[in-house]
Amino acid sequence: MNGYPGGAGQHALPADSMPTRPSPTFARWRESAALVPLGFRDGHEGLLVTRYEEAKLVLSDPRFSQQPQRMPRSDGPVEDGRPPGPLDEAGVLASSSANILGVDGAEHLRLRRAITRRFTVRSGRTHRPRIAEIVAEELENLIGAGPVADLLAHFAEPISIRVHALVLGVPDHLVDRYTACFLHGAPRQEQHDLLRAALDHRRQHPGEDVISDLLADEDLSSAEVEGLLHMLSLSGRDTVAYMISTGVVALLESPEQYGILVDDPDLVPGAVEEIVRYCTMFLTVFPRTATEAVAIGDRTIPAGTTVSVSTVSANRDERRFAEPEVLDVRRDARGHVAFGHGPHGCIGQQVARVELDEAFRALVTRLPDLRLVSTAQHEPSPLANPVATYAARPVLVTGLDR
Amino acid sequence: MLQIDVDADSCVGAGQCTLTAPDVFDQDDSGIVMLLTDDVPDTSEVREAAALCPARAIKIRE
Repeated sequence: MNGYPGGAGQHALPADSMPTRPSPTFARWRESAALVPLGFRDGHEGLLVTRYEEAKLVLSDPRFSQQPQRMPRSDGPVEDGRPPGPLDEAGVLASSSANILGVDGAEHLRLRRAITRRFTVRSGRTHRPRIAEIVAEELENLIGAGPVADLLAHFAEPISIRVHALVLGVPDHLVDRYTACFLHGAPRQEQHDLLRAALDHRRQHPGEDVISDLLADEDLSSAEVEGLLHMLSLSGRDTVAYMISTGVVALLESPEQYGILVDDPDLVPGAVEEIVRYCTMFLTVFPRTATEAVAIGDRTIPAGTTVSVSTVSANRDERRFAEPEVLDVRRDARGHVAFGHGPHGCIGQQVARVELDEAFRALVTRLPDLRLVSTAQHEPSPLANPVATYAARPVLVTGLDR
Repeated sequence: MLQIDVDADSCVGAGQCTLTAPDVFDQDDSGIVMLLTDDVPDTSEVREAAALCPARAIKIRE
């Protein structure tokens, strides 16, 4: 790719990145240019956006398409997180009918709007009391697992799957199966069978939830209903578990930051914005491809070029955030792109904010002496598919006596 | 006062405006943006809400 800085050796995502300590390669790339060359696994040479302003421009510009879905090359291993196994015809149709991350414009908006109403600010507020109860129950389980316990397995993951089931409307008697399918992992067919059982139940017993909305939507085919539900079950659950557990790593690496929240839990909502900025999970989001030549700054991106955006790098851009390598729970971190940006930005972000708020609030209120023992988040790990993201890893903590 | 154009047709219901400037913006039952007042004060929250809109659906007429 002539005309862009960089060159040989800058064509794959670095393998030495860790959630609270991104690879120094990102800082070097960001310093060199807003757009650097990046290789994709199919041999295509495209670009990586390293800076904040340009990231927002690319993510919200309709001239960038979600197709084709190329995945960036990485210097390290990439884990295949897709559910294994064969799938019946209806399931295959469902998967291809609701590929909300693979469509643009009006078609995308049609699918997205079928599910927006349960993810509003108001929905987050409505769910808050029940989310607080779930958090309180899981906090007891974490304390009971002490004196040294894995905060991921005993707090973050159970909260993430239970709130997912709550918002989607998975009936109580199916939550254990839902957990087996979408937390512990199960073959694709088992996942679809379980979701069909949930849909059957809600057809008879509609509620105030996503599943009931999908069923009531006359504009959606049954394949789209099943496909959207499967997509929602695979999205955002691991992200919340990652962010609760990794956020604790970040806070306990700088114990004075945890102490600030212990002393004043009302600072938690602002701290949540800073934590998701600092611990951003997506090294890249789903790549976009320019449908025509697009000028970004003083450069022209040729039509057909695939452009990947690194939200990890954009959220550490010195041009937007002063001292970005410092976790500062008092900073105004709003405007970060940790939930993405543009029409494909995270649909669940307002519910996620409530979950994170309740989880961190419970920890700093009830466990002021929480300390980090060790965590796999301090070792570079394989990136998770389908795009390059960090994965949730065990976080051993102590100080669980009240 | 600010002159604001809100494009409900392109809204994706992310809720950033409602979270940032709840006195001026809300989401309807479908999650789509609603302007709560014709007299929009020129505050940093309103300007931030426009800047944060992922769908570029909130435009300030300067």
